[in-house]
Amino acid sequence: MARGTNTPSKRKGMSYTKFGYLFIAPFVIAYCLFSLYPLLTTFWYSGTFMQNANANFWGFSHREVYYDKYLNLTDFYDDFQGSTGINPADYGKIKNFFSAQEVADRYAPIDPEGLQALVDNGDISAETRGKIQQVIDTGDISYIASDAAVMEELNAWSSNYVDLGLTVIGQLGKVNNAATTAATVEASEDEGEDTGITAEDILTSDQYASFLETLQTAEFDEGQQLLVNYLAAYAGVDSLYDFFAAEDVSVDSDVFYYICSNLNEPNAVYTSEEGETAIAAIPVPFMNDLTEYLNANAWSTSIPAITTYSDFQGYIDGDIDLHTNQEQLYADLETIYNMGLINKQVQLVQEGDTLVPSSNASNNILAAMRQYIDSNYQSDPIKTRSSLQIVCLNNYLDGAMNSGRKKLIDAGIDIDSYISFDGSFDMEEYLRFKADIGLADVLTMEKYEELDAARKQKNQEKAQAKLEEAQAALPDAQAAYDAAVASGDEAAIKSATEALSAVEVAIADAQSKVSRPTGLLEKADATRDYLFVGFNNFGDIFGNKFRFNKVMGAFYTTFIMWIIGFIPQVLLALLLSAWFTDTKLKLKGLSLMKALMYLPNVITAATIAIFFRRLFSYSTGEATSAVQMLLDAVGHERVNFFANPWATRFIVCFINFWMWYGNTMITLIAGITSISESLYESAQLDGANSFQTYTKITMPLLRPILLFVMVTSMIGGLQMYDIPFNINQYPSLVAFNGTYIRCTQTVLMYVNELAFGKSSIKQIGIASAVSILLFILTTILSIIIFYLMRDKDAAAAAKAKKLARKAGGNR
Amino acid sequence: MSSNDVKLRSKSGSIAAYSALVYVVVVFFAILAIIPFWYMFMNATWDTFSIQTGIKLWPNFGHIFEQLKANWTYLSNRSTFSFALGFKNSLIITVSSTVLTVYFSALTAYGLSVYDFKGRKTVFTLIVGVMMVPTAVNITGFYRLMNAMGLLGTRWPLILPAIAAPSTVFFIKQYIDTSLSKEIIEAARIDGAGEFYTFNRVCLPILVPALATQGIFSFLGSWNNFFAPSILLTKQDLKTLPLMVSLLYGDRYTDYGAIYIGLSASVFPIIIAYAFLQRYIIQGVSAGGVKE
Repeated sequence: MARGTNTPSKRKGMSYTKFGYLFIAPFVIAYCLFSLYPLLTTFWYSGTFMQNANANFWGFSHREVYYDKYLNLTDFYDDFQGSTGINPADYGKIKNFFSAQEVADRYAPIDPEGLQALVDNGDISAETRGKIQQVIDTGDISYIASDAAVMEELNAWSSNYVDLGLTVIGQLGKVNNAATTAATVEASEDEGEDTGITAEDILTSDQYASFLETLQTAEFDEGQQLLVNYLAAYAGVDSLYDFFAAEDVSVDSDVFYYICSNLNEPNAVYTSEEGETAIAAIPVPFMNDLTEYLNANAWSTSIPAITTYSDFQGYIDGDIDLHTNQEQLYADLETIYNMGLINKQVQLVQEGDTLVPSSNASNNILAAMRQYIDSNYQSDPIKTRSSLQIVCLNNYLDGAMNSGRKKLIDAGIDIDSYISFDGSFDMEEYLRFKADIGLADVLTMEKYEELDAARKQKNQEKAQAKLEEAQAALPDAQAAYDAAVASGDEAAIKSATEALSAVEVAIADAQSKVSRPTGLLEKADATRDYLFVGFNNFGDIFGNKFRFNKVMGAFYTTFIMWIIGFIPQVLLALLLSAWFTDTKLKLKGLSLMKALMYLPNVITAATIAIFFRRLFSYSTGEATSAVQMLLDAVGHERVNFFANPWATRFIVCFINFWMWYGNTMITLIAGITSISESLYESAQLDGANSFQTYTKITMPLLRPILLFVMVTSMIGGLQMYDIPFNINQYPSLVAFNGTYIRCTQTVLMYVNELAFGKSSIKQIGIASAVSILLFILTTILSIIIFYLMRDKDAAAAAKAKKLARKAGGNR
Repeated sequence: MSSNDVKLRSKSGSIAAYSALVYVVVVFFAILAIIPFWYMFMNATWDTFSIQTGIKLWPNFGHIFEQLKANWTYLSNRSTFSFALGFKNSLIITVSSTVLTVYFSALTAYGLSVYDFKGRKTVFTLIVGVMMVPTAVNITGFYRLMNAMGLLGTRWPLILPAIAAPSTVFFIKQYIDTSLSKEIIEAARIDGAGEFYTFNRVCLPILVPALATQGIFSFLGSWNNFFAPSILLTKQDLKTLPLMVSLLYGDRYTDYGAIYIGLSASVFPIIIAYAFLQRYIIQGVSAGGVKE
């Protein structure tokens, strides 16, 4: 009976096993897709030369075409001229081809949808529409290109067609350019060029003083006076001089930049005897410094935020309908306008005795937008599309816009027949073109490699000469340094030290260039495609002194900021956990204390970093931060913590310590309480005191847990990002092995800067290679922890086996 | 007798002194742990001038609500920082990813624990092996994958990967192995329940304590996450609270009252949640260190 019931359930139990696969399937699929696949591709990317996150793989063949496209040999005219067999004029044709192809890709002149709109557009003559229909049918642009009358008619129609939506889009394009120019902070890979202009520098500069003098004494013409009056009214002061000379003038304020940019580059007209006349600029001499200052400080957060929020690019490309979120768009435009960034898009015109912003939509983006919103403007879709397509056609066919095409046509080449218009590069057509201009057998991969090798050799020789020169200068510099030290004159020692280290840096630099000279091929500036380059990126990291220092500096910074925080963290946790578990002390309210000490660990690290940034920030005035006030109170002079690399690092370390000691403490308490009570009892019977039981029993048994804490903390520490990133977004520089690195730049921050930074060239390949180094390091640490934990698992498994055997024996 | 008494008294006296010393140190660190948050909250009730000219460890009595409102208004008027938007985005991402993590980790752990299929030991070993592999190292690959899938500029890149959380699987499996008796499953099967029904309706309720603990940690991790969102969420209207807070860095905005109210607002919900859940959180941390 018992058997009878057992057997079917057992058999059924066997069939259940397939559910196991079902249950773990989502996890396995998600893990493979979102973790494993990206990891494997990161490995692959670490072996590629990729400069854009959207790049496509070029493939393994026709690499010469890749270099035809992305390497500009004319930049290396010396190498190019020296090589025989390539006529520079013929080489120019290649460049013209790619420039024409790029215009075709960008504007899609014969996009079927747009051409269809033209065919459907009743305003256009039947004959022209027939020709356009033929272009749609055959995909051959020559029906339009060869007949000047077609474009004439289209342009005539287009210039008479008024569409407020198009006006707004056109102006948004200009706004986008202005805002992105302002928002683009050039990422600085160069060493130690942190200009760091401060507001004070600007206000105390001679340029500012001379500007004030201009405002006070210069004779302005009628138009300029109107502009000055308008701006004074805008700022709410009687005269502009008062505004700029005021005690509390703030360089950061929107009004300040608005006024300066309007004076420097006005877009304003007034009615003079000769009719409408543009108002002449009143140059603002500190304009460049001001822009640079705002770029580094105020704009760096707000402008990118506004530009991304408004999605200007999306409106311009037509991806987003202008009617979506239009009030927000208007508000953003106003914000940017008030900052003075797009004053050029809002013309000032004279009305009576004063200037006012123009109400003409085509001269004023704000007016255009307002009108668009208020009239709930709807464009005629066919006519709008027609108009846009005419712009695209013009851009492609017009010699000024598409000079590459024009030059080739002037040279008698029917370029249109080689171009692919569907937005993707057609390799076969290009190779046909290259053969037709007679370069197919001349400019081959071998040729590129030959040029590359020649350039490497030349650079190597140059570096060798520099090396010898620097080495020759070394004894003199050393002697000068020794003499200065002997003389004891501090100024002399300082300058001699600098001279000596300059020579040493020059030697090291030349050595790294001799061992790894730069060639030609890495100068290819690829935007859409990437190449497989094997271990070149790792070679770059380990062979190029500059790169090596940057990468190792990031690892060093990360490690140092981890360890300095970790040591006190563990020591304090050990102490506290010993107290918390000491039964003799009979402490009350410990769980509350534990909870309080753990609290910082659950709070957002970004918030904490921003808070500490505020707490320690530096200013010389009466108004200042809490820590500076404390310094004042104890009579110490104020310290600019964030200008000092080590002070910044120590603040990061302190935050790490403060956030994590509670966590470590709880882990250790758990470890101590899991130690068998009987051990302590017997120790107590033997007369051991608290200290002895701690050192003889607790510490040895805690060792594996301490190791666990250390390894997990180190893995976490290697990924440090939030705190150093937020504590100082423009960290000061510090020398590392002869190269300047950012004092709080961790590995992940460096990866982020390389791959997703503000620089227009994204070094995805090298970023991936650095990630892989980080991965290898963490894997080694993980293996350590895996073994630590596996021992326990093995013990548990053995125990389970024993139990099972027991159970089996019973049966 | 009397000497013995003295000895005892002196011993208890020295223990009392020692306890007092310990208390002083412990209380010092407890205060150190909370004082920044206290300071943040207090400063949120003051105006910029007061904050910059004195250390405010007490609220702005008499003007608390006016000043809070003034600071809040100033903060809300800034186009870049929107607490409501950040909170909403954080909540959407965090809740969805926590639900996914908890449910699918439980499913996976259950599958590994209950069914004796071929290769389950290998799978479990692999899960333990990859537990420590940081997700940040594959960021370039992940970014390009999301780009190729057309998910950039959406919240999905921060939600979908939550399905696979190796460490959560590990901890829930530990719990299942010790607290879920196979008899319950057998009984459910005999009653004719399907396997998924058994898991969802019978076993999941039993696992709630473990799921809650893991859910809290998953929630905190996702809520506080900064690195991945900072790279993947470039659109302002998708930014999470930590990214919004990061915008308070700009030295351009010198209204300290507004900055402190922004920081306080981002900390406050966590502290409230922590006040209720700290017991489970601390238990969870303890269990994480000493595997039982």
